[in-house]
Order: sequence, then structure tokens, then C-alpha cells
Amino acid sequence: MIDLHGYGPRLAEGALITIELAVLSLILAIVLGLLTASAKMSRNWVAHRIGTLYTTVIRGVPDLVLMMLMFFGGQIGINMVTDQLYERFGWDLFINVNEFVAGVITIGLIFGAYMGETFRGAFLAVDSGQIEAGRAYGMNHWLVFQRIRFPQMMRHAIPGLSNNWMVLLKTTALVSVIGLTDMVRVAAEASKATREPFTFMIIVAAVYLLIATVSEWGFARLQKRYDVGYREAD
Amino acid sequence: MEALMTWLEAQLADNSIFTLQTLGYYGEGLVTTVQLVALSLIIGLVMAVPLAIGRGSKHRWISLPIFLYCYVFRGTPLLVQLYLIYYGVVFVEGIQETWLWVILEKPFVPALIAFTLNTAAYTTEIFRGAIKSTARGEIEAARAYGMSRGLMLRRIVLPSAFRRALPAYGNEVIFMLHASAIASVVTIMDLTGAARFVYARYYAPFDAFLFVAAIYLCLTFAILYLFRYLERRLLAHLKPASG
Amino acid sequence: MADTPIPLEVRDITKRFGDTEVLKGLSLKAHKGDVITLIGASGSGKSTFLRCMNLLEQPDEGDLIVHGEEIRFKQTRHGREPADWKQVVRMRAKLSMVFQSFNLWAHMTLLENVIEAPVHVLGKPKKEAIAHARQLLERVGLGEHADYYPAQMSGGQQQRGAIARALAMDPEVMLFDEPTSALDPELVGDVLKVMRDLAQEGRTMIVVTHEMAFARDVSSQVIYLHQGRVEEAGPPEEVLGNPRSERLKQFLAPKH
Repeated sequence: MIDLHGYGPRLAEGALITIELAVLSLILAIVLGLLTASAKMSRNWVAHRIGTLYTTVIRGVPDLVLMMLMFFGGQIGINMVTDQLYERFGWDLFINVNEFVAGVITIGLIFGAYMGETFRGAFLAVDSGQIEAGRAYGMNHWLVFQRIRFPQMMRHAIPGLSNNWMVLLKTTALVSVIGLTDMVRVAAEASKATREPFTFMIIVAAVYLLIATVSEWGFARLQKRYDVGYREAD
Repeated sequence: MEALMTWLEAQLADNSIFTLQTLGYYGEGLVTTVQLVALSLIIGLVMAVPLAIGRGSKHRWISLPIFLYCYVFRGTPLLVQLYLIYYGVVFVEGIQETWLWVILEKPFVPALIAFTLNTAAYTTEIFRGAIKSTARGEIEAARAYGMSRGLMLRRIVLPSAFRRALPAYGNEVIFMLHASAIASVVTIMDLTGAARFVYARYYAPFDAFLFVAAIYLCLTFAILYLFRYLERRLLAHLKPASG
Repeated sequence: MADTPIPLEVRDITKRFGDTEVLKGLSLKAHKGDVITLIGASGSGKSTFLRCMNLLEQPDEGDLIVHGEEIRFKQTRHGREPADWKQVVRMRAKLSMVFQSFNLWAHMTLLENVIEAPVHVLGKPKKEAIAHARQLLERVGLGEHADYYPAQMSGGQQQRGAIARALAMDPEVMLFDEPTSALDPELVGDVLKVMRDLAQEGRTMIVVTHEMAFARDVSSQVIYLHQGRVEEAGPPEEVLGNPRSERLKQFLAPKH
């Protein structure tokens, strides 16, 4: 058996944190992505500009830099706001930025930009005749979105979504740098302490590969579900 | 030069963080980042061409190891790969007594190895996709005109595949630029390393990181425009004539 | 005549895809200056037959003799394969093919397409190849289009360019695989005109086509294929003017 020098349980905890972090960030990213896609497709000039600025800036700066900005800057920024609130209104608030929350918000914010592009492309790929048909049958905006545009869009979005998820999963490793004890941080500590980097890093790599392989399989099934009705055409 | 310096000094006069010294850190960081990224991209590119060809080989003993290499390096975080190579090198028994230590002592080489292996894996997949999507008819025409396999690869398949791979490769270059920020984790003073240093020294996260973010943004745009230009030149043949 | 070898002779070619036999013993002899048209319904095996002639498909049985040189085959685990690929390369350079979907190389200009194989396969000096290519492009009416990329030209122009590319090899025999089938009706005429000119100047051609008027006017021999067999063969006035089999009569009857 591989000797983990007692780091086994901590590695498992770290893996759990990695998964939690990835899933929560994914949910945030999807929500932000849908909002961004709507903003970028909207006829509202301001919304369009904000959406474009967001996706351009986020995609132009390294994840790690954004993460450090958020994490190191976040607390100072919040303190500045709470100080102001105290001075002006006498409200005494103390908000502590927790590493985990900072991680979720940063990763969600970063991948919201990528998701925005994915969703925008997918929405544009939906045949406009389908939407017109919905309107012609008296569906309102929301109903058309919910019943026609969203399900049809998903078919086009899944490859991009799957791709973004794989990148997101790997990006979670960066939180170890800002102090969150995910499995990469545990493995790095263990490597230094035991001088056996191969043992720990290879285990961590294997866990990432396992998660990636399982999710690849999951996305393939999801694609199958949304492909219903298109199969014969291929 | 001197005039520029005095001008800069004047500009920086009432600024406690962005002194000439800190700007110097950023400047050196920029050089390190560009060196690290450019070197790993170039070596990775050279590796990726034969790997992509081998990846499509009929012989499983050639294609399978390449597939596994790509799968592992694309499926795991670059940070893990960097740690593995960085710590792996440092903790090898007795390495500190050999001549190799002279090069490996600095974290630049392990980082370069990790980045190169990583980008080579991604680039291999990009090229493989492009090679696979070569129009069947064009290959058939090459065979019908008496081209051997090697000649066909050299004259028809690769030139058209490289052009088609250009947009995806442009993304890979930007991805590598951004990914290189983790070099700072193993104490390399790249751009991000400089920003971390300035942050730690002045405890000014916004100044330190927003400034470096702006530099990265400019570099990203420069790469983006370079590739747009290349695409315009090299992908002209795929667009129907206007008028 | 007896001294010069026959440009292309094919004997008893059979070809199976899995369990279905698509060619059941086909033979053909193309003398210098012959224009042989292969006609037949889709699925009759005419394109497969043509593709066997330059070994884009490997025939399971049968002989191929190009300019007096017989192609050698060997049996392998995967079936019959040419014994010497160098020989195949040499032979293919003598038979140049024009495809249904043109298959011009998309990353090269028209001129580069035309000189590609002469320079890199035949080893012709580049200057000479360019001069020859310009003449050929002029001939097919594309003198002005030398620097265009395939995607910038119409289907008819691409196909005429592909014919120039085939001519640049100075081929013994030209193989045409339904050269007008992928074209819009108004573009077919230009391509057929180029092909008629080639026939008139004595080029040896083997043409798979649906253009009956072309078959009637130009060919020296028409072969009607049905389910991988020769149903009727002979001069066009006989085969097309006076079909004997019921099937060929039906095939030639104006649709609707």
C-alpha cells in the first residue's frame, strides 16, 4: 500500500472542498452567464456595454490575478464600505471574507464571463422560426424563453458548458495559493513535509482525472437528453 | 533616455507606491513572463507537430501513449504539474551534488518544463483536430496525383491544418500567458510575482493587482490582434470573394 | 500503332464492400485517343470501377496494366494490396483524375494547385511548370483567375481549374468522375465544352457521366453498367441509338 504518512483523511477533506468549491462556482457561473448573455443580446445600450466590458476584462486577465485582487482586496474593500457606513450612519458591521466564499465568488465571476459567451452563441443558434412559432401561438416572452428558447439553446450550449466545467475544475486548484486548504494545498504541504512529491501529487492528479472522466460521461448523457428529436436528422 | 527618466520621476513624484523601483520590478517581471511563455510555447509547438501526427497513427503503441500523455496533462491542473516537477526535481536524492543542480536550482527551469509539457499536450490536440478535419476530397486528390504519404503530409495536410488551427492556437497562447501567473507560486518573479511583492510591501492590493491586470490585458489584446492579423492573411482562402 | 503500348488496360476487376460484390468482373481497354464513357444508374458501380483504375479503391481481383506496365499485387492480412507503392505512385502520375467535387486544395491558389503535382511529384522545374500552368489556365478560360483561391471561384470555374490541374500532369489517360454532377445547370456547359475540346485533340479519356448528349457526341465507346456488370458496350450510335436490353431502354427513356 502507498504510505500517506497520515495525510489520508486531510487529502479526502481537501478533495471534498475542491468538489464543493467547483460545484458552487459552477452554479454561480451559470446564473451570471445567463445574465451576461441576456445583457449582451439586449437592445439596451447600457446593459450591452456592461456585458461586453465584463466579459472582455475577465477574459483578458489571469485567473490568479483576479483571485488575488478579490481575496486580498476584498477584505479591504469591504472594510472601507463598512467604515463609511459606521461614520455616516453609525451602523457597526463586521463582515469577514472567508476564503471559501471568496473562492466561490471569484471563480463564479470568472467563469460567468466564459459561460456568457457560451450561452450567447447557443441562443443565437436557435432558429428564429421556432421563437416566432411560439409567439404566434400566444406565448409571452417568459413562456417562449422557458418552453422553447431555453431547452433548444441547451442543446447547443452543452459542449461549451462541459468544456467550461473542465477548465473550472482545474482552476479551483488556484485557491490553494490564496490559503484555502483544498486537496492541492494538502498535497503541497505533504510533499514538503515528507519529501515525497510524487506520491501526493499523483494521487491529486488522479482525483482530478477521475472527476473529469465522470463528468465527461455525465455531460454525454445530458447531451443525449437534449438531442431528442434531432437524432434522425444527423 | 535621461529625459524620459526625469519625466517619469516627475510623474511619479507624489506617488508612494509606483516609484521607479517598483516599476522596475514590474518591468523585470514582464521580461520573465514573456521569456517563460514564449519559450514554452515555441518548444511546445515543435513537440506538438510530430505528436499530433503520431496521435493519429494506426499503430496503437504509438497513438496510445500520446493519447494518455494528452489526457493526463489536459485533465489535471497546471499547478499540480508544476508542483510535481518543481518538488520532484528538488527532492531527488543527491541532485544537489551534480552539475544539473546549476540549472535546476532556479525555479525557472522546472516551470519551463511544466509549461512546455502542458502546452504541448493542448497544442497536440488542436493540431490533431485540424489534421482530422482535412477535407477527404483533398486527400484523395493528392493520392490520385501520385503523392506519397510523406509528400501529402508535408504539402497538403499540414499546411492546411496549420491554417485551420490558427484561431484555436491563438486561444492557447492567451491561455498560456494567463496560466503563467502561477509561476509566482514557486517564487519566480514574473509579472504576478512582482505584483505580489508590491502588495506585500505596501499592503496595497488594488494598486498592485489592478496595475498588473492592466498589463496582462494589454498583452492579451496584443496577442489577439496578432492572431487576427495572421488569420486575415493566412485564412483568406477560406472566405468567398466579395463581389 | 502496335509498337506503342496501350495507355490503360483493365482485366476482370472484382470488388467487394463487405458481403456485397459491387464489381463483378469488369474489363476495359483504352487505346490512344479513345473516349470511353461509363453510364448506368447510381449504384451500378461505375464510379467504383473508375476509382479502381488508379487504385483509390483496391480491387479484390483483376489486373491493371498502365502503359504496358502491369501493377503487382500481394496478399496481406487486410486483403489484396499493391506490392510496390512506388509503382502505384508512378502509375497514378500517368492517370490524372477529375473529381465530382473538384477537390482543389483549398489552401493554395489556382496556379499553385496546378503546379503542385508537376513540381513535387514529377520533379519538374518550377519555372517551367508555371509557364505551362498559365497556358493551361488560359485554355480552360481561367487566365485571369490564377491567383484566386478555390473558395473564391464558382463551381464551374473550380472544375475547369481542376481539369487544368489534371492536364498539367501530361497524363496518358484522364479519368473523369461525374465532373458535372455537382454543378448548377447553367455552369455545366462551360465544363463540357472544355471536355469536348480535349476529346477532339485526341486525349485518351474515361468519363463517368450522366450527360447523355456528351456520351453520344464525343465518345468512341459507351459502356452501360448494371449491378457491377457490363450490360451493353459498343460505339455510341449502337448502345445509345439502338439499345437492346430492356433495362438500358428504360434507363435512356426520357424521365416523365
